Amino acid sequence: MRFVDEFRDPAAARRLLTAISGLAGDEEFKFMEVCGGHTHTIYRHGLEHVLPANIELVHGPGCPVCVIPMGRVDDAIWLAEQPDVVFTTFGDMMRVPGSNGNLLDAKARGADVRFVYSPLDALRIAVDNPDKRVVFFAVGFETTAPSTAVTLVRARELGVRNFSVFSNHVTIVPPIKAILDSPDLRLSGFLGPGHVSTVVGNRPYRFVPEVYGKPLVVAGFEPLDILASVAMLLRQIREGRCEVENQYSRVVRPEGNPAALALLAQVFELRPHFEWRGLGFISQSGLRLREDFADLDAEQVYDLPGVRIADPKACQCGEVLKGVLKPWECKVFGTACTPETPIGTCMVSPEGACAAYYNFGRMHRDAAQLVGQSRR
Amino acid sequence: MSTAAPAPLVDEALAADLADASLTLARRFAAGATLWCLAPAWEPHAHHVAVEFVHPVVVGKRALPAVALTGPDLVPSVRISVRPGDVVLAVAAADDSAVASVMRRAPAWGVTTLWIGNGERPPQGAADHVLWLDDPAPSLPATGGFVLLYHVLWELTHVCFEHPGLLTTAPDCTDEVCVTCSDEGRLAEVLTPASGLDPATARTAQGTERVDTTLVGPVAPGDLVLVHAGLAISRIDPEEP
Repeated sequence: MRFVDEFRDPAAARRLLTAISGLAGDEEFKFMEVCGGHTHTIYRHGLEHVLPANIELVHGPGCPVCVIPMGRVDDAIWLAEQPDVVFTTFGDMMRVPGSNGNLLDAKARGADVRFVYSPLDALRIAVDNPDKRVVFFAVGFETTAPSTAVTLVRARELGVRNFSVFSNHVTIVPPIKAILDSPDLRLSGFLGPGHVSTVVGNRPYRFVPEVYGKPLVVAGFEPLDILASVAMLLRQIREGRCEVENQYSRVVRPEGNPAALALLAQVFELRPHFEWRGLGFISQSGLRLREDFADLDAEQVYDLPGVRIADPKACQCGEVLKGVLKPWECKVFGTACTPETPIGTCMVSPEGACAAYYNFGRMHRDAAQLVGQSRR
Repeated sequence: MSTAAPAPLVDEALAADLADASLTLARRFAAGATLWCLAPAWEPHAHHVAVEFVHPVVVGKRALPAVALTGPDLVPSVRISVRPGDVVLAVAAADDSAVASVMRRAPAWGVTTLWIGNGERPPQGAADHVLWLDDPAPSLPATGGFVLLYHVLWELTHVCFEHPGLLTTAPDCTDEVCVTCSDEGRLAEVLTPASGLDPATARTAQGTERVDTTLVGPVAPGDLVLVHAGLAISRIDPEEP
């Protein structure tokens, strides 16, 4: 458990908490943080416990690993097991379960699976190993997609032919819209993603206040940033305003990064549909490589099985991702589903809501008692 | 005739801040930090803080490594002096641009920051610890208010040393973060710009890294960028609050 005195500038944190209590009064508020990084900060620093009890933070679908459907993981494992393939991925994808094991299992069976910090490192492996075929498992929102795009352009410039990308990049706006369209969720406002917004800017979120009447504040990742953003949301509500505000202005420009957006448009196009674990198919929410890059597109170079696998029945990741259920309310949480043997992807990545609950033990005392009773 | 008691110099909130800052300092010193002291407008304060921590004036108390950095070119002096894990303490007004620049760069150097001053406060989160006197009087830096603050800071740091259990923090059960899911963005200070096929190199709290700077335009040594998955995605103005 962390305390306010371990935050950066604890004096400012105390003042913000006083302001938040004053603004919130006795009314109940439910704010969703869209981004997995925010979820991580909230758990790691115990922010739920320093905020007044009538302010609830709901964890959204902002972990791109958590939303990759099982069938795509199976495709990745199939790719990793092809002859002469070096399969490269970010560390977290290694343990995401497919229908028959994960990438670590594939590695144990002899597949050459390596984890990299950047797709540029994967390209370097391709250059250094001309006799191998290197595939990069690309996941992530608009923050990560530019690094894949830069890598693809670099591969083209260098004339690298033994490199391809299996794109599972997704975009942030469609799932926010899907959540807002969900009838079983009552939200008072959103904490908008920070680093995604350095790329896309503030404008794509305007529909949230304009069409759905919910305020949104783009938030940074320090505990202080989250508290300041909650205060900004409450101030908007109290002052009768409803707009997109930017708390993270030290990093995020309203227009985003135009060079990155131009590059994304050059390399990627929207898929008509992309399946999200727990949320189902969301139209225009996934990115695939444009035809110009077909020779670097693993989906075109290889004949992927592309089998669609239904989510495990016991797993309630969908409800957790939508913020309808708290992780501990899922039937298999902490029993059949743990970070060591995850059933759903929310338990895999440290930013997944379930893993964060499990690892940091963030449960209100009464909730823990309830869970204890139900397990007896 | 009755007179109202004067407001205390250190109120409850500032007392809490002092305690927090002292614990942080003790933990950093215990891990091997050096304290770098700055006070560009009032250099005697920098020397005074350094000597305070270095001299073992109380019998049995250890001398703590502290150095005053003075003279022109403050940012380059700090950059070249600090190592990850060190602490920078500045005694300066909130509008001191050199100190503000040091504070903004500190996360890229892996350095903990403390800022002492009076009058208008620096922006939220400008430093890890902000010890501030609200009295805006321009004469305050000469009246002993700051001296009292850093004397108490020094004494409380030694009080923390008397409780060794406080000096190590329990490791987080999981501190790993995923580059993509955590939407990671790490502050980096450019060391050398890209040249030919070689990417730029940059300094981060983790050490020196290769960084692709295609999307932020030409960079020069000292520029601050935000790095995600080996790519600089945003440029950060070192002077803007």
